[in-house]
Amino acid sequence: MEHGSLTDSSASTFSIMEEDHTLANSVRFVLNQDPRVAFCGYSIPHPADNKVNIRVQTTGDPAKDVMKDALQDLMVMGQHVRGTFDKAVADFKSKMPAEQMDVDVNQQ
Amino acid sequence: MPPATSAPDAPVAEGDAEAPPVPTYRSLAAPVSNPVDKFALLPAFLKVRGLVKEHIDSFNYFITKGIKNIVRANNRIEARSDPGIYLEYKNIYIGEPSVQVDFRVETITPHFCRLTDRTYSAPVIVDVEYTVGKTHTQHRKPSFTIGYMPIMLRSYACVLNGKDEAELARYGECPLDPGGYFIVKGAEKVILIQEQLSKNRIIIDTDNKGRVIASVTSSTHEVKSKTVICMEKEKIYLQLNQFTKAIPIIVVMKAMGIETDQEVVQMVGRDPRYADLLYLSIQECATERIYTQQQALQYMDDKVTYAGAGNIKDGRSKLILRDVFIAHVPVNNGNFQPKCIYTAVMLRRMLDAILNSDTFDDKDYVGNKRLELSGQLVSLLFEDLFKTMNTYAVDRMNKNSDMARSSPLDFSQLIMQQDVITSGLERAISTGNWDIKRFKMHRKGVSQVLSRLSYMASLGYMTRITPQFEKTRKTSGPRALQPSQWGMLCPCDTPEGEACGLTKNLALMTHVTTDQEEGPLRNLCFSLGVEDLSLLSGEEIHAPGSFLVMFNGLILGKHRQPQKFANNMRTFRRSGKIGEFVSVFVNEKQHCIHIASDGGRVCRPLIIADKGRARVKEHHMKELRDGIRSFDDFLRDGLIEYLDVNEENNALIALYEHVDQDGVQRSSITHIEIEPMTLLGVVAGLIPYPHHNQSPRNTYQCAMGKQAMGNIAYNQLFRADSLLYLLVYAQRPLLTTKTIELVGYDKLGAGQNATVAVMSYSGYDIEDAIVMNKSSLDRGFGRCIAMKKYTVTSEKYGDGISDRIAKPQRNKDGVLIKQNMRV
Amino acid sequence: MENPGGSSLPAFLELQRTRVLCKADAPTHTEGFQYSGAFAAMGVDTSVSVEKFCSNFKIEINRLTEEDMEFDMIGVDASIANAFRRILISEVPTMAIEKVFMVDNTSVIADEVLSHRLGLIPLDADPRLFEYISDDVPNERNTIVYKLHVSCEKGSQRLTVKSGQLEWLPEGSQLTMASPAQSGDNQRTYTSFGQSQQNTSERPLGVKYKDITIARLGPGQAIELEAHAVKGVGKVHAKWSPVATAWYRMLPEVVLLKEIKDGDAEELVKKCPVNVFDIEDLGNGKKRAVVAKPRACTLCRECVRPTDDQVELRRVRDHFIFTIESTGALPPEVLFTEAVKILEEKCERVISELS
Repeated sequence: MEHGSLTDSSASTFSIMEEDHTLANSVRFVLNQDPRVAFCGYSIPHPADNKVNIRVQTTGDPAKDVMKDALQDLMVMGQHVRGTFDKAVADFKSKMPAEQMDVDVNQQ
Repeated sequence: MPPATSAPDAPVAEGDAEAPPVPTYRSLAAPVSNPVDKFALLPAFLKVRGLVKEHIDSFNYFITKGIKNIVRANNRIEARSDPGIYLEYKNIYIGEPSVQVDFRVETITPHFCRLTDRTYSAPVIVDVEYTVGKTHTQHRKPSFTIGYMPIMLRSYACVLNGKDEAELARYGECPLDPGGYFIVKGAEKVILIQEQLSKNRIIIDTDNKGRVIASVTSSTHEVKSKTVICMEKEKIYLQLNQFTKAIPIIVVMKAMGIETDQEVVQMVGRDPRYADLLYLSIQECATERIYTQQQALQYMDDKVTYAGAGNIKDGRSKLILRDVFIAHVPVNNGNFQPKCIYTAVMLRRMLDAILNSDTFDDKDYVGNKRLELSGQLVSLLFEDLFKTMNTYAVDRMNKNSDMARSSPLDFSQLIMQQDVITSGLERAISTGNWDIKRFKMHRKGVSQVLSRLSYMASLGYMTRITPQFEKTRKTSGPRALQPSQWGMLCPCDTPEGEACGLTKNLALMTHVTTDQEEGPLRNLCFSLGVEDLSLLSGEEIHAPGSFLVMFNGLILGKHRQPQKFANNMRTFRRSGKIGEFVSVFVNEKQHCIHIASDGGRVCRPLIIADKGRARVKEHHMKELRDGIRSFDDFLRDGLIEYLDVNEENNALIALYEHVDQDGVQRSSITHIEIEPMTLLGVVAGLIPYPHHNQSPRNTYQCAMGKQAMGNIAYNQLFRADSLLYLLVYAQRPLLTTKTIELVGYDKLGAGQNATVAVMSYSGYDIEDAIVMNKSSLDRGFGRCIAMKKYTVTSEKYGDGISDRIAKPQRNKDGVLIKQNMRV
Repeated sequence: MENPGGSSLPAFLELQRTRVLCKADAPTHTEGFQYSGAFAAMGVDTSVSVEKFCSNFKIEINRLTEEDMEFDMIGVDASIANAFRRILISEVPTMAIEKVFMVDNTSVIADEVLSHRLGLIPLDADPRLFEYISDDVPNERNTIVYKLHVSCEKGSQRLTVKSGQLEWLPEGSQLTMASPAQSGDNQRTYTSFGQSQQNTSERPLGVKYKDITIARLGPGQAIELEAHAVKGVGKVHAKWSPVATAWYRMLPEVVLLKEIKDGDAEELVKKCPVNVFDIEDLGNGKKRAVVAKPRACTLCRECVRPTDDQVELRRVRDHFIFTIESTGALPPEVLFTEAVKILEEKCERVISELS
């Protein structure tokens, strides 16, 4: 859910249910890399509540778009991490001698 | 008796084979290179004595000796009309714990009693001899049950006595359970240790008006009285509640037959300073024109409070002087001399205190205290009930013979009224109200329900000592930590708040004595050179260099070589020829030697040292480890002895053999501690590194250690406590203290070892709140079980119809079928 | 670190930006520079665009077995690494026993404690083959059924019940609900399996480790129960956590600030309990201390005590040594991929919520 103002779209608080530091801190990092962001931060109002508030203030662009871009970037980073990781695993396994290939019993 | 060769029994005889070579300056100055590790003595001690030895010992004493003494003192009852009709108790003993069901006797076990709300009691059996009918034909009846007595667990009369772990398990009993409590109507009841001022001892003190007083609380089997001698306006008076007014002490002396003032002064002591202080008292007596015993008694007769039947006051005061005034000093054949001397000694001590305020007695000093244990308390109760039962029997007999019934009763039928003893004992122990009019005793809360919150809580209960004073007083004296508590009472374990410092706990190795027979000891004293007082004049008593010998508060006589006498007595004790708990205390200030064998003194074992060298050597410890030598062998061989608080004043006790203390000459050390950690109690012993803590923290932990949730006993799942908290994954502490291992806390752990980070978390952990890791909790950290007892009576209606306990019935949709069933 | 922005920061700022310094008393420069334009005024762009991230990101695998793995994740911010770690622990689903139908339990262990212990047993079932249970209707797609029926004969020795004695029931529950109303009715059990689970996976859906103690039975005691495992995540209960634990640490960097020779060198080598330092023989009896195994450093700080003027302990801010210990349902490398996927799903969900 987005809490912003009708007149100024450049500053908003995004209230995300069922999320915590995992997403919020990652998004905060990505947002901070965006030159359009003037300020961003997040908080968990109460540890018993299952929600997180992410505050985004931009230099002019709509906060929502910047936020979406950040999430998109994060997804791309995730895909890249996965690709790099899978390749590293494959390389590692191929380098391993055959007798030590007890790694994945599932596929045997 | 052990062979004399194995007993190095002379601390003074230096040429002994066992004793170290004659010390030279060099050998004394040299450090002890290899200190012997004496820790193994501690488990040996606890193995012999158990954790709650004082309770069990005192109850054992009662059921083996005390009860026989009571009955022997009151062994005959006879009808008023005809003394030929009588009943005599020949013997008394306690049977096996059992219960009578339909004239069948079934033996019972403690756990059976807990589960069925019964009293764990055993029959009190007597052998009697009595006469029947007008012909007075003599009958004997052995094994006659006069009542049931609740039995202390693990005492001699208990089925658990001397059983090993497997046998205990068969009885449904936990081997770690210390015993020492009673089971009354299914509830576990502890008779708390009661603390009180010594009986039959002179205490010099000041009263609330600032007057110097000498008081004695006399207590014998027959009478209990309090005698106070006080000094008012520089004159000395006797206060006794049988007299309306205080009686001048010189009048009392004259009434007892010391007619000349010179004799009085001689008895007190010829020091002119005493005479100065006595001057006004003597003058007062003279102004009252009392010169003879007759005049003195007349004077006192007028002051008697209660004149008795017919308002005859004549001769009352002589009876009071004989029976009430310092009642524990015996008057044989009208010989008042012992009482005169005792009074004179009281006066002398009082005057000493006036001249030198150092000689005042300290009421809070542990040596002036006696601990009353369950054995003694049950003994009082039993004595009262036994006498009551006999009085009832005599009353019934008298009534019956008055009515002149055709079939004459005999006493054996009358003492069948078993209920007096059975219900009397049961009621007192289950309510904790000790109301014994005969002994002017009215105490509440003597027994309490044993707390089974945790194993530690139960242990803590057994070592607790409750005071006799009221708790509301804002006094600081009795609450303060007494130096004489060292090693006897735990310095940490006391509650906070109103009972702070008043309720105490025994230390780990403390032993509380039970009464010992006086006759042989008295004879021994005389044969060791004590001069009987009756042969001495007042002048000779206080001859310089000679000491008075006090035996359990009575003046036995005097001795010209006090130190030699004391050494001889101690030698006898170390060689086991007299009881190990007899205390020999040389009081230089009072010029007295106190020999004590009475019950209720606190004492503890110490290693005897010759010139600072412990008698316990490495080869002794090896024998102990190999199981050849037991703790009792150490005692018997004179390597270890028990010292009570008073005798500790004649000893110089080193903490460690190998550590030199500043300003202490090694050669003057007489004893060495077995293990310094035993100065703490059971509960304080759980604290790791207590000497690194701020002292109140240890006290707080003593209160909290009992609250730890964990395992209660091995039989915890078979118990039916009303509320039981158990920890599922209880752990042994990572840091174990020696005490923990000794008391078995490592086998019945409470609590879990947690990894703790001290840090802030946004205010959700202010003060002592904590934030916990959820996955730890998920994985079983701190998981506990609470068990609650619900009682239901299942009735039998006959014809095979009876109540049955079943789970609620549901139909296939899960709805309860029976309306009267609820979840 | 390379700086593709051309001009670079002064050395001390670059050190502050990329390293955490561990001084003898406390670590310094722990917070880092969050804002991308922190050094814009100096003409240095330190921001991490997606492209920059992709070109710098590296993974090096150090160890990979069936149970655990260790790899270096280089060129990533702590917030991202931490997100992976958190997801691994609490959001990657597994199967775990959730419901226990107790038929008989005369052991000393209470029903609830026994159930709890069963729940914590790792199951050898791929959670990706199952759905989350909904509406409380257990079927072959969301529930695995196990049976445990053990008893200890009277007069025999005490018996230990192990996890291997849990028996998988591919056909579903064998326990019938309350007796049928009519005798002709089909007996209703606690699951409604449409088909057998026999072919769901190549291996039988047993337990991962067969030697986990569940309970101990004394003579005459017995346990009979049926356990239903469902899919769940670690944040609901730790039994669904696929990892024993997952953690990372920053790469230690040990720097000798000056040449340490001879006696000092030997002293330094002796100081370190994990042997980070070694001695290089310079010939003619001269020796010099060198940093041999910086990765072993545990940050005990013995080497910077009492003075920290000869050794400096640092941590590389964007280099993580990541360790995953699997509980067995999935191999560690699959767990990591799953975790990253979950982060992507989270982003996707929020994007779609915002649109």
